[in-house]
Amino acid sequence: MKRKMDPVDAVIVGLGAGGGPAAKVLSEAGYKVVGFDKGPWLRPEEHYSGDELKFQNRSYLWPDVNLMPRTVRSDENSEARIFNFSPVPSNVGGGTSHMAGWMPRPRVSDFIFHSLHGDLEGASLADWPYRYEHLEPYLTKVEWSYGISGLAGADRGEGFRSKPYPSGPLPPTQFGKKFYEGSNKLGINSFPLPMSHLTEDNALGRPAVNRTSFWNQYGDPTLTRSSVATTYIPEALSTGNFEVRADSYVKEVKVGRDGKATGVIYIDPDGVEIEQEARVVVLSLGAIESARLMLLSSSNRFPDGLANDSGLVGKNATFHEYIFAVGLFDKDIEDPLNGWTGNYQSGGSTHFYETDENRGHIGGGIIATTQIGQAINAILPGRPVWGQAMKDADRDYFNYSMKIGFILQDMPQETNRVDLDPNVKDAWGMPVARITNKPHANDIAMSKWQIDKNVEILQAAGATKTTPVYLGDEFTGNACHQQSTVRMGTDPAKSVLNEWGQAHSVENLFVVDGAGFPTAMGVNPTLTIMAHSWRCADYIANTYMKGRSERLALPPIKKS
Amino acid sequence: MVSKADWEIAPIRIDPDSTEKLFFTDHEWDTVEAAAARIMPTDHDPGAREARVIVFIDRYLSGIDYLYAAADGSGFLQLSGKDAHAARARNANMQRLYREGVRELDRKARELRAPSFAEASEQVQDQVLEQVSGLSKPVPVSLTSREVYYSRLQGNTDEDKSFFDTLCLHVRQGFYADPVYGGNKDQMGWKMVGFVGPKSLKDTMDGTYSTAEFFVQEYDWEDLVPGFKHGQESETAGSPGDA
Repeated sequence: MKRKMDPVDAVIVGLGAGGGPAAKVLSEAGYKVVGFDKGPWLRPEEHYSGDELKFQNRSYLWPDVNLMPRTVRSDENSEARIFNFSPVPSNVGGGTSHMAGWMPRPRVSDFIFHSLHGDLEGASLADWPYRYEHLEPYLTKVEWSYGISGLAGADRGEGFRSKPYPSGPLPPTQFGKKFYEGSNKLGINSFPLPMSHLTEDNALGRPAVNRTSFWNQYGDPTLTRSSVATTYIPEALSTGNFEVRADSYVKEVKVGRDGKATGVIYIDPDGVEIEQEARVVVLSLGAIESARLMLLSSSNRFPDGLANDSGLVGKNATFHEYIFAVGLFDKDIEDPLNGWTGNYQSGGSTHFYETDENRGHIGGGIIATTQIGQAINAILPGRPVWGQAMKDADRDYFNYSMKIGFILQDMPQETNRVDLDPNVKDAWGMPVARITNKPHANDIAMSKWQIDKNVEILQAAGATKTTPVYLGDEFTGNACHQQSTVRMGTDPAKSVLNEWGQAHSVENLFVVDGAGFPTAMGVNPTLTIMAHSWRCADYIANTYMKGRSERLALPPIKKS
Repeated sequence: MVSKADWEIAPIRIDPDSTEKLFFTDHEWDTVEAAAARIMPTDHDPGAREARVIVFIDRYLSGIDYLYAAADGSGFLQLSGKDAHAARARNANMQRLYREGVRELDRKARELRAPSFAEASEQVQDQVLEQVSGLSKPVPVSLTSREVYYSRLQGNTDEDKSFFDTLCLHVRQGFYADPVYGGNKDQMGWKMVGFVGPKSLKDTMDGTYSTAEFFVQEYDWEDLVPGFKHGQESETAGSPGDA
């Protein structure tokens, strides 16, 4: 006999960037909410510190690939292999507990990508069912409640913003200064990227003491980095309406005879299966796992997976790819660049974000100079692997190299998708996500063009040697970004969700992570995910729960 | 089930000067130490031998007791449940990889007429490592050549690697990891490359350890970002740039 818990107003599955804002908004609106996370509820001040081996090599925060494997293949005909694709921490806080924390806003153009470009062969470009101006108020809410630092006015191509940032950026690092020098020589508008960390004297009054430079992929033991686990989760808990069930694995969303979701079945920390009913089910497991849970939740009404009438659940996946160029500098004439310092990025640009067809590709993305890392894993492409040559390379270049990275905006393709692996199961006995992906020709062209541009910036900054690292013939998931697997749109035949993240065919099912994004955008997705979740949760709290529904009217697009 | 959030801390510390072997036999210890010394050799700066990389590797291979240091370095986390199960299975594979790897090093050394890898000359040891790696000994980084690479997953776990690649990775780890894990004795790896690391892991938790001095101290955003003017961001923001 399955145990049953008392019904609640809403369940939220996945307590990362998507689940956090929804938990806050719904519980503050007075609804009883239970939030599930498959992973533990770690305590930053007790569990995190600057231990490179633990966080970078021994995967303390990353999912254990033996317990939560994923498989990848490049097309329908190739064999899938187990690979830790897009490893986002599986715990309360999710990706916000390890991320470097780039928090740039999306651009006006991101929401109308298809209107601007038309069809692209082999890709499935689409507009979003809402526009930048609909999200702007929520972007501001997140910046001011979660805590983002930046320099408003420095990014010349940014869309309208209703408020500046609540915190100034960190000072530049030595390699950051080089980046500005190189950029300025070439006339590239560069600036401190918005980041999810605060600096001293921020307007939120939050202490910001972490200047250890143990940052990307590390947990932050202090409150310097904004994380869902230290902001929205505690705020939701303080309402008395929210409960966290950590180490609790949701294996199915249940559907009733009327085709509405009735709640979820989960496995509790002791392995007991329990049913939790709710009026509304909110999914925010990350685009890969949200799609997987929908595919796992098949029923008579939805034999191909929950809300999957269109057959699109899992399809059009986008992952970004983090690629870069590295420059080596001459230690005899340069000051040390200290590539191990900083809170990962130290200057970036959206100068190449908008389409310029002279480049041979459409779209673009954000670039930034970033730490090369601490000593074990310092990035040095082609580093000799052993012997005197390795030792000399470490000694000569650890402090005299820098890199300029790029968030590659991959084009959505229906064949790039997430489905259930027929052979591989996770530690809970459930089929794992299988990722099928192959870059589009536009992705390859964009990679080549932008990384060559990054090489130019390095050369302008004085690099003696430069090395490009391009996108290969498969995505590796190394950005830990996931989008687009459960598309939003206005047409139920061409999308799964509407403009509120609400499933077209299951009115009380909402997917509020990046799964809904029709295109990848060229910015890191976290800020957009959080603002999107807030907007969807606002609709749930103020419209859906009140028994109403609403459709957003989209004005025609004025092409400039 | 004990949640990962509640793993106990075993108050154990590793003495880098220890010669006590928790996993290796005497011969395996000598062999791996000799190989590590060719991978990160000693010159005017210390190498793997002085940094006690061998202690680091031996403790890691001994089981799952030395997998994760407690955040503050006061001991090591005691894994439980599924995590412990998966870690134990990986450890068993790793032990096998090293046992077989040492035999392979000896076999190849004997083919080159040395009594064993550990007793071979450095030249012969290098030849053996070339054979095991399948590549000639790495040459210095060239500033004139031009190479192209393709992206890969960040993070460097030691899964699904050959013995040679595993050993090279573990030598780097033992040379550069926080000294709490038994290697990088007296931070000699960090000192060699110029990484000014924390005195202890605990110092990274509360602001005691800071790298602020290594940032640019004097700057103005108006200089770094041409076209940007202070005040554009309005009075509600902090005061960026006035360092």
